[in-house]
Formats: sequence, C-alpha cells, structure tokens
Amino acid sequence: MFKLFFPNLKMLFRNRQQLFWALMFPLLFTFIFGFFFGKNSTTGEIILINKSSTEIATSLDRTITDSGVFKVDTNYSDIEAATDQVKKGKVAAVLVIPENFGTVSPDASKTLEVIDDPANATTNVVLLGILDKFNAALTFQLNKISEPAFTVDEQKTNTRNLSYFDFVLAGLLGLALMNASIMGIAITMAKYREDKIFKRLTVTPMKSWWFIINEVLSRLVLNFIQISIILLIGRYMFDAHIYGNYFVIYALALLGGVLFQLIGFAIASIVKTADAAQGAAMAITIPMMFLGGVFFPVDGLPKWLFSIVQYLPLAPLLRMIRGVALDGTSPFLVPSNMILVLAWIAFCLIFASWKFRFSEE
Amino acid sequence: MINVIEVNNLVKKYEDFAAVDGVTFDVRKGEIFGLLGENGAGKTTTLEIIEGLRRLTSGTVKVLGEDVSLGCSDRIRENIGVQLQSSAYYNFLTLKEILNLFGGFYKNSISSDELLNMVDLKFKEKSLVKDLSGGQRQRFSIIASLVNDPEIVFLDEPTTGLDPIARRSLWDLIVKIKSQGKTVIITTHYMEEAEVLCDRIAIMDKGKILRIGETHKLIEGTKKPYKISFVVDKDNKGEFVLKLEKYGQIQNLAGKSNHFEMHLKSQSDVNKSVEIIHKLNPESLTVGRASLEDLFVELTGKRVEE
Repeated sequence: MFKLFFPNLKMLFRNRQQLFWALMFPLLFTFIFGFFFGKNSTTGEIILINKSSTEIATSLDRTITDSGVFKVDTNYSDIEAATDQVKKGKVAAVLVIPENFGTVSPDASKTLEVIDDPANATTNVVLLGILDKFNAALTFQLNKISEPAFTVDEQKTNTRNLSYFDFVLAGLLGLALMNASIMGIAITMAKYREDKIFKRLTVTPMKSWWFIINEVLSRLVLNFIQISIILLIGRYMFDAHIYGNYFVIYALALLGGVLFQLIGFAIASIVKTADAAQGAAMAITIPMMFLGGVFFPVDGLPKWLFSIVQYLPLAPLLRMIRGVALDGTSPFLVPSNMILVLAWIAFCLIFASWKFRFSEE
Repeated sequence: MINVIEVNNLVKKYEDFAAVDGVTFDVRKGEIFGLLGENGAGKTTTLEIIEGLRRLTSGTVKVLGEDVSLGCSDRIRENIGVQLQSSAYYNFLTLKEILNLFGGFYKNSISSDELLNMVDLKFKEKSLVKDLSGGQRQRFSIIASLVNDPEIVFLDEPTTGLDPIARRSLWDLIVKIKSQGKTVIITTHYMEEAEVLCDRIAIMDKGKILRIGETHKLIEGTKKPYKISFVVDKDNKGEFVLKLEKYGQIQNLAGKSNHFEMHLKSQSDVNKSVEIIHKLNPESLTVGRASLEDLFVELTGKRVEE
C-alpha cells in the first residue's frame, strides 16, 4: 500500500514553489549565519597584547592562543591601535595582559584588561569565561594548594574547538525541518481538503492512516535533502565542526522530520482551509523558532519560562542533535530528551489518527 | 429486476433544516436513474449519503444489499465509481499518473490507456488536469470514476457548465457506460438531459421526492400531455385566442406577442385547436407531447434556472 509514495515524490518535486522554499530557506539561513559566524567571520577573532613575561602570563597567553576557540592575533603591541580594530569591527575583543602580571610584588597589576564590542556577545562571554576559569585556577594555586598550574592547560585540552556557528548549525537543521514539514503538511492537506481530493479518496479503499504513512515517507526524502544541504554547506563552506556520527545526526534529524510532519497532520485535522492552516502553522513555528533553542540556548531564559519551553518539541530534539554533533555524545545520554521527542510523536500520531479524516462527516 | 440501491425513508438534517426529508426509492441493475431537481433540492446530499460520504439522520440505505448507513465497506468501495460535483484532482500529476494512482487503490482496475481512449483523451495523457478544457475535464472525471470497473457509477451533475456540444458528447459517454452493463445514478437539473438519458427519474424539491417513475410514463401522466406551439401575426387574433382557451391554457411564449403555446388534455382538444389555428394561417405550427420540463413546472410551479 505504498502506491502514493512515488506519486507524492513527483508532486513534491514538481511543486516548484514549495520545493524552492523548502530548499532555499535552509540554504539562505546557513549562508547568513555562515557569513556572520563561520570561518571567515571576525566574530571569533581577538587581539592579545601580552606585556608580561612571567610564567603565569605566558601560561595565560598559551591557554588563549591554543584554545582554538578564537583566532588570536598577537601582532599588536599598541592598545590604542588594537582598540581601533575592535571599533572598526575587524576583531571581537582585545585582551591586554599588563606588565608584571603574575608577579607577587604588591605594585604589580592583577587586572586583565578586556576591550570588547558589545555586539559580539558570544565571543565576549566565552573569552570572559575562560579568563574567569584561569583566574580561579590561579587563585587556587597561589593560595598554597599543592596542585600545579597545569590544571589550566587540562581545561584547554578538554575544550572542543567550537564556535557559535557550530551551535546554530544544529539549530538551523531543526528550524528547516520544522518549517518545511509543519507548514508543508498543514497547508497541502488543507488544500487537498479544499480541492475535494480527500472527498474523492474517501470513496476509494485507501485508508487515511496509509495516506499519512505515504505522505510522511515521501516527505522524509525532502527532509534528507534539506539536512544534506545544511550539513554540506556548513561543513565545507564555513568549516563547521561536527564531532559526532553523521549517521546518528541524520537519524535524529529525520526523527524530527517525522515529528514535525505529524504536528502538520494534527493541524490539518483541525483546520479546514489553507489560510487557516498557514496561520495555525505559523502560530506554532514562530514561537518555537525562538523558544526551542535554534539561535541561542534556552537555559538563559527566566526560570518559569524555561520550565515550559524545555518541553517544546524542538527543544529536546536540538539538545540531542547538539549533543551528538558538538560533543559526540549518545542521544540517549540524557534519556528525557529522547523520551520527550517520542512522547510528542506518539501524541501527535494518536491525535492525527483520531482526528484526521478524509470525510467531512 | 434486481435492486442495486434501496433507499428507505431517508432523512438528513442539519440542525432543524431537513436537506433530505423522507426519501424512498430504489435503483435497478443496469438502468440510468436520475435525481432531478433545482439546486438545493437535496439531490447531491442524497447521492453522497449513498456513496458513504455523509451520515444519514434516519432511514436506511442499502447498496448491493449492504447497509451503508455508517459508511461503505471496502467491498462496496471496490464496486462503486464516484464522480463528484466540482471535484479536483492532484495538480502536479498527469492524467495517466492520476488514473494509475487511483487504479492502484483497487483490487481490480482498468488500464489508464483503455480509459483515456474511451473518451479520446489519449493524446492528453501527459497533460495536467488544469490544462484541460471544461468538457475534457468532465470526461476525465467520469473515466476516473471507472478505474475500478465498478458495478454502479455515481455522476453528480456531470454536464453542468458545459456547452451543448460537450454536453451531448458526455451523454454519449454515459450511454456507453450503461451499455457495458453498469448501473448509472445521475443528478441533474437539465430536464432535457434527464429526458434523453434516464430510464427512470425521481423529481426532487425541498428534500422530498415529488414524483418517481419511468421517464416517458411520467411525462405521459402529466395533466396536459399535449402541446401546440404556433406563430401568428394577425391583428385580430384576440377572438381566436378566446376560442382556443376553451380547449386548453394558452400563453405567449417568452413574452413574444406573436408566439403562443398551448397545453392540452386530450387528442380531440388538439384536433379542434389545430383546426382553429389553421384558419389564422400561422407562420409556424408544431404539435407535440409535453416535456419533462412541463411536468416539472406542473409539479413545482417553477422552472429550473441554470
């Protein structure tokens, strides 16, 4: 009963308008974020001016330079000239290690100076985080704890070479699948209803659940192409870092595709017209785009809001994809993520099977 | 005669409004049965309940001996073909692909080539439905209802909106379907169509059946089964009109002062009236029987508008 699979595929690829948006949307977003935050962007570039030659200053210098988190320019010695580069947007920040930093003499400076551009919040947060950790380790050591300073270096070796683009790329995967699947299914099904294609199908032996299966399977082919475009462009044009297994990333993304398509069917079961379907789909996708963790981590949201949005369908999916892609961890590392996604799939499947009907009566 | 459809006291209500109000009829194997009435008479609702598309409020409906009150079983679906009013098909599949797809839903199916040849649309097999003319689209929608080689074919206003030539071409197709031994149930508001095509008809108005029976017998059973139409240009026709009115109702046709039509009860009235009209040296004189439209007007007091 997979008779609709190939005809569905033909229709998907002949519907140029829908295909254009399904493929152009991820393409556009990947390019935009790639140009802003990918390998050639200045977002992750800082200038380091080290005026101290102490062991501690050298250690900090090495920590920053070898971290791989930033592209570090050490060719500047003049703070003013370096600051000028920040103002021009050529680099994200300047880190100044003052003279005699690291010596124990009372008049030696104990303050690291960071000159940054507020627009590059991500880089700044990461830089300040590293400095905080370095300072904590240093204070720890200076307070007569026997641990040597190399604990700082250990942190460095454990730090993956990740950028904001790597973070957002996984988000774009979810965003593209969500938009194409929820909007695509909800609007197409409402159109079928308006055109009385469902009515025509009612009088055939074709069952509505077979129809759903065929539709989902054929659209997974489109999802596969979307995923491939995002990963290929992200990886090879903008040097995104993907540490996990590609097979697992694809599997998770396609699982997301199934989830979003079922959400589309759930919408199509309730609304009757294509216009209403578009409105309902947008009412779901737009909040989820911002609250599901596509562009920034949702952990930073107010606690009450986080306690709600962490359960949105997109949020656990992105947590799993990021876990695999960025850390190489198993999607089952935090079982609640997988349970949440499967629960959403089960809920939408039951709802769609219950409510989705060819017939209007 | 085997009944393939049996409808008994069928009622379909939408809140307090009865779209179908106690309809009873049956359809015999191999005939063309027509549901005739103006828009809103309840024809399509009746048809869609039989097809399993709508739920009835009360009454019973049997198709091929099976109760379909709660919807059609797969056995029924395998044996009926449905052409819907203003039905659309997939926008991005060709005619051949649509027929193959729909054929694939059934255990038995007729090849798309055979169907397309049947209505001379083979040359359009790679076209999309939107690229067809109105007549071609209707022909296609009818063959799409034949993909499973059904026993019963439902046609809902198949010729609405078509020009006379396309309409007649579709009549030929419907007769061809009947000649294959299939039963056809058709809804229409075209009197001429029902008169030409249907073996039996049910005239519907406001959800009820006003008259049902063999088409020619119904027409013959009108109160005034004869009709005379004539054109005279004389000035003193007034006194002749008065003479003619003794034998039957006389009226100007469509407001034309020289064109008259008479409806008469008996053959002797016809003879006497013709004698009077001859004295007027009419430009034109035709004598014939009443039409289905005359019966419809007699029953409902109104003409069906397009």
